[in-house]
Amino acid sequence: MTMTPLQFESRQHARWDELEQALAAIETGRKPKTKAAKEDKAAKRAAAASAIDPAHFAALYRAACEDLALARSRAYPVHLTTRLEDLTARAHQLIYRRSDYGLARLKRLALIDFPQAVRAHWRYLLVAGVVFTLPLFLIGIATYADPGFVLSMHDADTARQYDHMYGPGSEPLGRERGADSDWMMFGHYIMNNIGIAFRCFAGGVFGGLGSLFFLAYNGAAAGSVAGYLTARGHGEAFYSFVVTHGAFELTAIVISGAAGLRLGHALLAPGRRTRLEALKLAASEAAVLVYGTIALLVIAAALEAFWSSARWVGPAVKYGVGAACWALVIGYLTAQGRPARHAAPSSAPTSTPMSIPMSTTRTGHAG
Amino acid sequence: MSIRALILLIASIVLGTMHRLGGALFLILLFGVEWFYPVLFELMPGSATPGKRALGLKVVMDSGLPITPAASLVRNLLRAADFLPFLYAFGLVAMLLRPDFKRIGDLAAGTLVVHAGSVRLHGAMPEAAPRAPARALSTEEQAAIVAWAGRATRLTAARHDELAQLAAPLTRSASRPADTAHATEQLLGIAHWIVGRR
Repeated sequence: MTMTPLQFESRQHARWDELEQALAAIETGRKPKTKAAKEDKAAKRAAAASAIDPAHFAALYRAACEDLALARSRAYPVHLTTRLEDLTARAHQLIYRRSDYGLARLKRLALIDFPQAVRAHWRYLLVAGVVFTLPLFLIGIATYADPGFVLSMHDADTARQYDHMYGPGSEPLGRERGADSDWMMFGHYIMNNIGIAFRCFAGGVFGGLGSLFFLAYNGAAAGSVAGYLTARGHGEAFYSFVVTHGAFELTAIVISGAAGLRLGHALLAPGRRTRLEALKLAASEAAVLVYGTIALLVIAAALEAFWSSARWVGPAVKYGVGAACWALVIGYLTAQGRPARHAAPSSAPTSTPMSIPMSTTRTGHAG
Repeated sequence: MSIRALILLIASIVLGTMHRLGGALFLILLFGVEWFYPVLFELMPGSATPGKRALGLKVVMDSGLPITPAASLVRNLLRAADFLPFLYAFGLVAMLLRPDFKRIGDLAAGTLVVHAGSVRLHGAMPEAAPRAPARALSTEEQAAIVAWAGRATRLTAARHDELAQLAAPLTRSASRPADTAHATEQLLGIAHWIVGRR
């Protein structure tokens, strides 16, 4: 005589109830709804959390998984399997939740993972750099030779505006600007530049074409402005303005373009993986690059708004600081995080077992 | 998306009173709302933006695990790719081509938008006297009969009876060959017998 669903349920339901109560205790401990409820629950939660032994919780979870497998293979009633599915899914989420967030992770990201990831992607970086700088120089030289060429990249109003911004005869950039205006520009740069970098990345999902396009387009746009202003004789005002934050901004745009190219390459040449798996792997690795890009662009925007625009600083000082920043960025990307202190690549899954807010325990022994 | 528009509208009114600093804060907020609003909410407990939450949805990894920061960042940055060439056209095409209804960002990040709560379609079985089936039933047949019985509360009586007719070989009795109510009663009895009431 095989076990009937009712016998199965009556034999196991105590364990399921226990698991359900433990889940409820941990989950309410995680997100108390209101302040009153928070205080009210604090005592209960403390009691509940201390009452739950992590190893026991893991044993309950494994038992529920076993029961679910049995219930499915024996075609037990749907209400049994749905309850077990619900319980195991909730427990699974709690047990395998990543918990290595916070400052330590950020520090590791900044000091090790990001520069290492940049070096690991040097081929993409090279391509992205060439695709960005080649139009920059070509269009720059073309515009320098024929300033009217700027009109093929920007409309006349924008060109006049650039003239106005960097020209000596007009209101010089920055001198009349108060602190609040600097803040305004900071907001503007954040909005604009990080958006450009993100589009360079996102465009990569179309076989890298989008990244190539955005890189080349932004390179050409920047080159035409540089060429035009140099030809008009505003070179010093312009270059002393862009040299400092450019170290962070141009690097960041090239890096995010490289991250996009990584996506595109994974799609076009997935190797021994399916295209989808290759894309997922590429995206998880490229995400590290994107983190760094965001940080670089925030630095760039702050410099651009508060330092680059400061007219009371002489061009010589700005060139000096600019050179120091370039050296800093290049040095950081080439030397930081060497030698590899952690053998595991940054993309390896770092989810640790048992990270619910109790003492951590490996799910080692069977229950 | 309309929630985000509302946040921006309110912010623009409040910050509009603050002149340029307000303008700056507004731009930073605009940026944050455009790119990071979903990332922020997807990483909070619940793994859902307010809009998703209102519709009973949440975002999880393909493995069913909570979404990681990297995956959330990727799926929301690639929103820019989904949006191309206009109004999420590529995203829509990707979703329509796939059974799991993923947009491009979900494909690359390995994430899945799921219903947060499990839907319970099966209620308690109506009472009936347990009755052994006339012949041995396969597990599939047992499962089908029990599932049918559990759906009694969600089906009209007529439809429930109609479905019971599919199992006529099990319930037909010589004395009352065309009595549908009797067949339903008998099949319910079999269902009770299957789950273990004897």
